[in-house]
Amino acid sequence: MSTLHVVSHSPFTDGRLASCLRVCGAKDAILLCGDGAYALHNPALHSQGVKVFVLAEDSQARNLPVPDWASSVDYSGFVQLSIDYDKVNTWL
Amino acid sequence: MKFAIALFSAAHAPSSRRALLFAQAALAGGHEIVRLFFYQDGVYSAANSIVAPQDEQDIARQWREFVSQHQLDGVVCIAAALRRGVLNAEEATRYQRSAVNLEAPWALSGLGQLHDAAQAADRLICFGGP
Repeated sequence: MSTLHVVSHSPFTDGRLASCLRVCGAKDAILLCGDGAYALHNPALHSQGVKVFVLAEDSQARNLPVPDWASSVDYSGFVQLSIDYDKVNTWL
Repeated sequence: MKFAIALFSAAHAPSSRRALLFAQAALAGGHEIVRLFFYQDGVYSAANSIVAPQDEQDIARQWREFVSQHQLDGVVCIAAALRRGVLNAEEATRYQRSAVNLEAPWALSGLGQLHDAAQAADRLICFGGP
C-alpha cells in the first residue's frame, strides 16, 4: 500500500511536514504545493529517501529552483500521481 | 478512474483553486468525478453571494460554471452550510432568513454523501488549508 502525501503548509510555519515524514513509508511520496513548496529549501527532506514532487506552478510562483532530488509536475501529473499511489493523504 | 473530491476551504483560499484545477485536469484526462463534496469552510466555495475583487479570479463562479457545464454532482454539507449562513431557498424559508445564497447546480445534503462517494470512487482526494 503506497500513499501520496500532499502538503500545502510551509515547513517553516508548522510541523505538518515533519509529522508527515515520520509516518512516510518506503513506497510513499510527498507532493509539495502552495507554500509547502518552500520545503524544497529543506535538505532534510532529501536525506529521508522519500520521493518528492512539487506542483510546478507553485515552485515557479515562488521562484524556487527544483533540486535534482525532486520532480516537477503540472495538474495532469498531479492526477496521474493520485492514480499511481493507492491513497492520497492531504495534510489539511 | 473514478474520483471523489472533497473541498474544505473557501473560494479565496489557494487550495480551492487547486481543487478546481485538479478536477478540470481529471476530466481532461478522461476520468470521472463521481461527486464533489464541499465541507466545513468549503461551503463558501459554493456560495453565490461572494464578490471577488475585479483584478482577482472569481473561483466560486468558476466552480459553479464547471459543475454546471459538466453536470457534476456538487454536494454542499448541510450542517456546515447552515452554521455558516449558506442557505438555499428551502432552508432560508425553513429558518426564516432573508438571504438565499446557494442555488443550482449545488445541492445541500448530509455527510453520508461523502462516505457514499468515497465508497463509489477509486480515489478520494481532499483539498484544504492554504
